[in-house]
Amino acid sequence: MTNIIDLNIKEKVYKNKKTQLSILNNFNLKVNAGEKIAIVGESGVGKSSLLNIIGLLDIDYNGEYTLLGSQTNNLHANELAQWRNQKIGFVLQESALINSLTIEDNIKLPLLYAGSGKFFFKEEDFENVINAIAIKPILKKKPLECSGGERSRAVFARGVIMKPQIILSDEPTASLDVENRERIVNLLFKMNKEFNTTIITVTHDLEMANRHDRVIHLERSR
Amino acid sequence: MGRSLFRFVDALELCTAYIFCFFLNLLFDYVKTLDLGPYILKAFFKNFMDYQTLIIFLFTFIVIVFHYQMLHRKKTEVYCRILVGDTILNITIRYSLDCLMILGFVYLLSILINVYLNFNLTSNLYLVFIFITYILISARQVRKYENF
Amino acid sequence: MKIFKFFITKIFLRKAILSISIILLLFMANYTTFIATRSILSTFQGYQEIKCMNQEGIYIANLDPDSDVDIDAIGENGTQIVYDYLNNNFNYAFYIDGFMVSLPNIDDMEISLSYMNEEYYELNQFELSQGTDLDFDYQFDKDKEIPILIGKGLSKTYPVGSTIKIEDPVLEQPITLIVQGVLKQNAYHYNFYDLNLKKYYNFSIFLPVNAEFIKNANIDLQLNGLMDIVILQTTKEKTVDLSEVMQDNLGLKFNFFSQEENFDYFNEYYLYSLIIMSITTLILLVIITCLSIWNALVSIRLMLRDFTINLLVGLSYSKLRKIFYSYFGILFFINLIVIFSITAYNRYEYWLRKDATLATYGFFGLIGMDWFALLVVFLSDIIIGKIIVENMLRKIKKIPISLGVLQ
Repeated sequence: MTNIIDLNIKEKVYKNKKTQLSILNNFNLKVNAGEKIAIVGESGVGKSSLLNIIGLLDIDYNGEYTLLGSQTNNLHANELAQWRNQKIGFVLQESALINSLTIEDNIKLPLLYAGSGKFFFKEEDFENVINAIAIKPILKKKPLECSGGERSRAVFARGVIMKPQIILSDEPTASLDVENRERIVNLLFKMNKEFNTTIITVTHDLEMANRHDRVIHLERSR
Repeated sequence: MGRSLFRFVDALELCTAYIFCFFLNLLFDYVKTLDLGPYILKAFFKNFMDYQTLIIFLFTFIVIVFHYQMLHRKKTEVYCRILVGDTILNITIRYSLDCLMILGFVYLLSILINVYLNFNLTSNLYLVFIFITYILISARQVRKYENF
Repeated sequence: MKIFKFFITKIFLRKAILSISIILLLFMANYTTFIATRSILSTFQGYQEIKCMNQEGIYIANLDPDSDVDIDAIGENGTQIVYDYLNNNFNYAFYIDGFMVSLPNIDDMEISLSYMNEEYYELNQFELSQGTDLDFDYQFDKDKEIPILIGKGLSKTYPVGSTIKIEDPVLEQPITLIVQGVLKQNAYHYNFYDLNLKKYYNFSIFLPVNAEFIKNANIDLQLNGLMDIVILQTTKEKTVDLSEVMQDNLGLKFNFFSQEENFDYFNEYYLYSLIIMSITTLILLVIITCLSIWNALVSIRLMLRDFTINLLVGLSYSKLRKIFYSYFGILFFINLIVIFSITAYNRYEYWLRKDATLATYGFFGLIGMDWFALLVVFLSDIIIGKIIVENMLRKIKKIPISLGVLQ
C-alpha cells in the first residue's frame, strides 16, 4: 500500500505579542490510501492545527509534507487551492455554510473553482449525492431555515461532491443527536468503502474514533 | 464591561464618524465666509458649495455603515445577554441612548466651535436629525438578533 | 467569469449598504478629481491665452477701483477725444463683446457680437476652419459689406461668402456683413482678470473695427472698449499721459500695468490658485481614500466567513485579487459613466438655455478638456483601486485560513 500522506512536522509555532506556543513537536504521520484515521486528544493540543496542515490550509510550520507523491512545500498558492478543490474534501461542523446561499448553492460551491478539462462534473453525480443523504427537500432553503442535522448533511455533501481522494472531518458530529451522528459517520465510511477515500477525522467521540482503522492520540508537547 | 453594547473602540469609531460629518459641515460654512480672492478659486469651491447639503448627506453614509457593521458584530452578544437575563427592549433602549449620548457630545462640541467662529448655531441641526433617524432605524435592527 | 458573477450576486451585493457606501465614496473621489482637473486645465488654458500679452512695451488698462464712475456725465465728445489721442499717439488692441443680436440660425441661438481691431486680432492669432482672415482695410460706409468671421454654429446657415443683414447695436443702424471665414470649433476667449471665465465663439460674429467704425459707434462701444484696452509698443511715461487725458475727458482714472507688473500679478494669481486647488483636492482625495479603505476593511470583517469557506473549497488568493480588482473596476466604471452623463447634460443645458457663449461642440457632448479630466479620473481610479484592493488582501491574508474561523 502506498503512502498518500507522509507528514513530518518538527514544530508548529503560534506567536502573539506576549507569548509563543509550540505544538506538534516532532510529529510524524504516514497514511495509506483508503485508511480511516481518527485523531483524538485534549483541547488545545493541536488537532485542528494538524488538520489545517494536512488540508494545505496552513503552510507556516517547520517540517515536510508529501501528499499524493508531491512535496507540498514547493507548491504555489494557486496549486494548493486547486488541490483543496479537487483532492481534499472538508467535512466540518454544521455551521460551516454560507448563510446567504441556498443549500444547493452551498453544495455546488466547489464546482465554481473546478476549472475546465481535468474535472468534468455530471449533474447525475450531484443527484446521486443528494439522494444518498436525503436532502433533496431542503435544496432551495437557506442554512438558517434548516435543522442541525440537515446542515451537517449539506456540509458533508459539499465535502464529497468533487469525489476527493482525502476527506478531512473536524468534529463533524459535535452538535448532533445520536441518529444524525450515526448518519454522518455511516456516510463517511460509505465513501471510504465505495471509493477507497482516505478519511481523517478529528473527534472527541471515543466511540466514533474506535470505529476507524487507526486512532492517533495527540498529547501536549513538553 | 457594563451593560452597554459599546466598547471604548466602538464609541471612538462612532464619535469619529460624527465628528467628521459635523466638521465637514463647519468647514463648508467657514469657506463660505472666506474672501477667496481669485475668481478661479471661487468658481472651484462653488462646485462644492452649491451641493453642500447633498455632499454632507452622502458622507453621512459612513455612519450608516458603522451602525450596520456594529450590530452585525454584536449579534452574538445580544443573544447571549438575552440568555443571561437581559431583555431585547432594554438592550435596544440602552443602545439608542449610547448612540444619542455620543451624538449629543459631538453636537455640543460643534456648537462650541460655531460660537467661537460666530456661525449660525442651527447650521448643524439638520445633521442631528439625520443621525437620530439612523439611530432609530438601527435600533429596530437590534430586535432581529433576539433569536440569533 | 462564473466565479466573478457569483461573488457579485451572492456575496458583495448581499451586503448592499457596504456596496452603496463604497460607490458613494468613490463617486466623491472621482467628482473631486474631475472638478479639480478641469479647473486647473481651464486656468492653464487661460494663462496660455494671456501669454500673448507677455511682450515688451505692452500696457493693459484697468479702471482704478477707487475711481468714481458717473456714466451719465460721460459724453461722446469726451470718448472721441480720447480715441483721437489714442489714434494719434499709440498702437492699441481694442476688443469688446457682450452685445447680442437676433439672427435666424439652425439652433435658434441669440448671436454674440465681438468687436476687435487689427492689432487685437493679430495679437491673438485666431485659428480658422474655413475661409480667410479678417480684413480691416474696408471703407466704413453703410452701403458696403463688412467682412466678418463667424463661429462654427453659424457656418451651416451662413457659409463663407454669404451675406447677413443686422441692426448693429453699437452703430444703431442696419449694416450688411459678408462671411469671410469660420472660426475653429470651440474657439474661446478668457477674461483677463478671471482666468476661469471663458466664452466660446461658436455662435459669435467677429466684427472688424477701425478708427472710422469706432467714430461712428455709440458710447457703449467707445466707453466699454476703453476698459480693457491694451497699449502696444509704448512706455510708462506715455501711458501716464494717456491716463491724464482719460481723466480729463471722462472723469475716470485708469491705471496702466506693464507687461512685467501684469505677469507678476498673473503668476502670483495663477500659482496661488493652482496651489490651493491642488492641495485641497489632494487632501480631499486622501480623506476619501482612507474612508474607502475603512469601508472595504469593514466589508472584509463582515464577509470573512464567506471568503474563508470559498478559500477552503478552492479559491486562491490570486483569483480573489482578480475578483476584487474586477469588482472595483465595475464600480469605477459606473462612476465614470455617471460623471460623463452629468457633464454631458451640463453642456447640453447650455444648448437648451440658448446660451450662445457657453454652447460647445464635442464628442458625445464633451469637449477636449472634459475628456482629459475623465482620463485623469480614470488614472486616479487605478491608484485608488490598487490601494484599496491591496489593503483588503493584506487584511484577509493576515487572518490565516483556518477551520477555526468557521467554528
